[in-house]
Amino acid sequence: MKRTSRRRLADLGVAVLFLLPNITGFVVFTAGPVIFSLVVSFSNWNLQQTVPFQWVGLKNYVEMFHTEDFWLYFINTGYLMLAMPVSIAGSLILAMLLSQKIRGTVIYRTLYYLPSFTSGVALLILWKALYNPEFGPVNAAIGWLLHNLRLNDLAQFLSGHGIQPPEWLQSTRNLLGIETEHARLSGASWGIGARDAIMFMGVWMGIGGGNMLLYLAGLSNIPQDLYDAAEVDGANRWQIFRNVTWPCLAPTTFFIIVMSFIGGLQGGFEQARVMTGGGPAGTTTTLAYYIYTRAFEQFQIGYASAISWVLFIIIFTITLVNWRLGGKQVAE
Amino acid sequence: MSASLLMKTIYAVALVVLVGLSIVAYAIQPRREVGGKLALAWTSDDNPARREQIDLFNQLHPNYELRLDPGNAGMEKVIVQSLAGVGPELFDCYSHAQLTAFVKAGVAWDVTPLYEKHGMKLEDIWSVVGPNFIYEGRAYGHPTNAATDAIWYNKKLFRENGVPYPSGDWTWEEFIETAQRLTKFDSGGRPEYFGYLSNRSEWYPMIRQFGGRLYTPDGTRCAMDGPECVQAIQLMQDLTYKHKVMPGPNQEAAMAAAGGWGSGVITLFGGGKGAMAHGGRWWLCLLRQYEDLELGVTEFPHGPEKVFWGYGRATLVNALSPYREQAFDFIRFEHQKPYNDLINHQADALAPVIQYCTGEAFLHDPEFPAEDYNQTWYDVMEYGEPIESSPFVDGREAQRIIDVQMDLVRTNAKSAAEACRDIARKIDREILKRLDEEPALRMQWERLTGEQAPV
Amino acid sequence: MAEMTPEQYQEYVGRRKRAAGTRRAVGTGARHLVLIVVGLTMLLPFTWMCLASFKHLSEVEEINPIPTTWHPENYIEVFKEIPFGRYYFNSVFVAAWVTFLQTLTSAMAAYAFARLHWPGRDTVFKLYLGTLMVPGVVTMIPNYTLVVKLHFLDTYSGLIVPAAFTAFGTFLLRQFMLTIPLALDEAARIDGASHWRVFWDVVMPLARPGVITLVIFTFMGNYGSFFWPLVLIKSEHLRTLPIGMLFFDSSYGKQTNLIMAASVMNILPLIILFICTQRFIVKGIQLGAVKG
Repeated sequence: MKRTSRRRLADLGVAVLFLLPNITGFVVFTAGPVIFSLVVSFSNWNLQQTVPFQWVGLKNYVEMFHTEDFWLYFINTGYLMLAMPVSIAGSLILAMLLSQKIRGTVIYRTLYYLPSFTSGVALLILWKALYNPEFGPVNAAIGWLLHNLRLNDLAQFLSGHGIQPPEWLQSTRNLLGIETEHARLSGASWGIGARDAIMFMGVWMGIGGGNMLLYLAGLSNIPQDLYDAAEVDGANRWQIFRNVTWPCLAPTTFFIIVMSFIGGLQGGFEQARVMTGGGPAGTTTTLAYYIYTRAFEQFQIGYASAISWVLFIIIFTITLVNWRLGGKQVAE
Repeated sequence: MSASLLMKTIYAVALVVLVGLSIVAYAIQPRREVGGKLALAWTSDDNPARREQIDLFNQLHPNYELRLDPGNAGMEKVIVQSLAGVGPELFDCYSHAQLTAFVKAGVAWDVTPLYEKHGMKLEDIWSVVGPNFIYEGRAYGHPTNAATDAIWYNKKLFRENGVPYPSGDWTWEEFIETAQRLTKFDSGGRPEYFGYLSNRSEWYPMIRQFGGRLYTPDGTRCAMDGPECVQAIQLMQDLTYKHKVMPGPNQEAAMAAAGGWGSGVITLFGGGKGAMAHGGRWWLCLLRQYEDLELGVTEFPHGPEKVFWGYGRATLVNALSPYREQAFDFIRFEHQKPYNDLINHQADALAPVIQYCTGEAFLHDPEFPAEDYNQTWYDVMEYGEPIESSPFVDGREAQRIIDVQMDLVRTNAKSAAEACRDIARKIDREILKRLDEEPALRMQWERLTGEQAPV
Repeated sequence: MAEMTPEQYQEYVGRRKRAAGTRRAVGTGARHLVLIVVGLTMLLPFTWMCLASFKHLSEVEEINPIPTTWHPENYIEVFKEIPFGRYYFNSVFVAAWVTFLQTLTSAMAAYAFARLHWPGRDTVFKLYLGTLMVPGVVTMIPNYTLVVKLHFLDTYSGLIVPAAFTAFGTFLLRQFMLTIPLALDEAARIDGASHWRVFWDVVMPLARPGVITLVIFTFMGNYGSFFWPLVLIKSEHLRTLPIGMLFFDSSYGKQTNLIMAASVMNILPLIILFICTQRFIVKGIQLGAVKG
């Protein structure tokens, strides 16, 4: 007993020396700010000294929940996450295709991971140019297809007017028909617009990325005996997948889902800042971008901190929910 | 080499390299004083006129290198960056509300003593731009220009319709009569041109002309719901929907699309879509490009009182910059002849110092002989009033509220009376919000009104 | 299932496998097709970017992606229009410092968590872990206000110091260190080595794969960092590559050929880096998933 406590204390001195550089920075730039942010969210601080500092209690939070814009941005954030199942399923399929011993696996894997690895401002700028409705190759290709496959003529025949290639980043329309000013659905808002553009781009960037690598690792960990046993039992491909592959990958899938939620809820900032400026008409403003404009263009530090904490709580809650739901399944 | 020694070596080498790079980084930092010139930064918007003004300053002051920094414009950014020690030496101020913010933040420098020292007098400057740089009687910079809007008219359209050129000093009745003769629709009922094009700013001089005000004299309440204001705004709405001399927003859009012209009142006017337009002398920066346009200028029509819309922009000095004394040399420059002559020549509205707007150089610029109306621009300055401000409300918020309601009036979605009432109600609510945030203001407000401010 | 002898069973499995094999052969063709199509989809935007970067401005808006005249001088043009070299330098310089500080301090901290015993150790580590879930914006706002107050705005220090201390490095390296057998430590300690010697001579060499992974991830993460430099930097000479690209696009956006040339120069080093360090990156991602 005594020896352990003396040992613990002896280590304490050394530990402090080892820890000091990192933990100082950690407290000043990570842990401290988390608390500071919460405290400041109850104030009206605007960093400019133009308004006297005041504690305003829950006023920022109340104002936030009463602003219709906040809910619209929440919806925008969620919209960009709609493609998550597609992206994850796609990663799984690609991983399964690549996990067989075929020639050129490494080349394919490198190629698929490229968009994810090189993602950044340059890639967003590239896609902005690609999506240009008048001059971009995406619409050029679509226009070419519409024309050469006579789809345009068919549409003309059926409905009286032709099909135009979508306006992508300049349109407030979207595949769900969500209106711009209010949280409602309407047919007039149906179309393919900025939100969809960013969503599709997100799938392109993510499908061959980290998730695929994780699935590859997961697949390689499945013991071959399970496959053999299933084949002997006369299972077809689908049954093998359902009864062997999918359950064995459950922990990986679970992890991927949790990480995707965490990332997705905080996301959309770079896309908005680089490609659309949050528009058109605020349709690509996600919560992260909203916080940015409030904090770093208007310097409403108190209010922006409140929004960021709400975002934190949302992420925390959804992660907890995921753990509860998923944890059980994995245990099975 | 053993693995541990390798790691230690790598770290040591990395550290040395990084320190070396740091020295390089420090060495290649741009210096404040380069080649004997001190670099000064001016945060303003980027356009050829501004660049010419800066070049002129640098020519006359070879010990300075004044540079434009357009990327960090915006009142909040300037304030925060200045507080962080990286603000520009000079920055622009567009309204009294902004000036108030700059002063309260401690970022605007009180240069009144320097004015006295260099014999610069506030009376030398057009009063219309005073609110942009004068706060509670102290000067914090100098105006870059001053303006009062008047009526531009298209001489060709007047001649085509057999209407004599307007001679100014006219009432709204006279104006409407003239404008009706200058509004033309084609055979399909589509508008060809209108008698009057709006720049969205006539609401303010109009309410003042009929004796109304935006705020009560002590600024404690919005006075937009008074009967005089309602009368004025109703007249504004009638221009479109009763007298039909001014296009509504839909018609404007139609004209813009039809001719392939861009939108915006200046473009529409330059494209001959309006016989008359409410605008400023600075329109020349764009209108000079329309070679076939024959222009005339006359006064804006008036009601019982004669009031026109005045405005301007000012340059303020950053109190927290270590080079603020040197920056003041630019302020002095803005008070002197070369700069003022340049402003008049560029037609960036009018020069800020009154005396340079008299004399032949301004009245008849040899490079632009067709511009024979500069006397009118001078004359209307006397009646120019900037939009009122109140210390109890954020001017930008108030402007936002007014803009939204005015749009509804222009599209006939609301009556003038309703809109005025809503403006007053919303602005009063903003005032109360402000009082909540600043106890000192609240005390002042309660003292002035003798009432308790509701929470 | 009827009883079989072992040999019969093997033969049965073999027969089933051969049948499956035939199915698989057909499947392989289809599989390759899908893989190639997906691969092309991934490649196409990059190809367009490269081709557009060589085009003359007047051709950029043509449908035909291949330039009729090749203009490699576009790349030189980029350097003339904006201080592109400076942006490169800034990005590498800042990322290098951040990586250096991050790996050194995290390794030391990880050692303290993995190898030393002290009161509150596990609680503090849980605190470290907890902050990993906090969204970046939450901490960036107070960090910004701190930088403003300390007058670090628009400086290299402001770019480097706040970014050098995240809990991720400590977490990753602690996981690595836990996999190193204690026996080696003990041997060295019995020989009288201090913790500092043990750290450098025993633990760090064995944790090298983890350190390399951390170096790569930290460097890549900071090189592409966008939010923090965006809010921190005001002067042109301090811009990092992402910010430089952003402003280049907003002021020269119409000159797509130049923008694409700049993008190529931006992305190419990343591609080369990735091809060289693939092994570590793939391992690192797969390791990061194995959480406690």
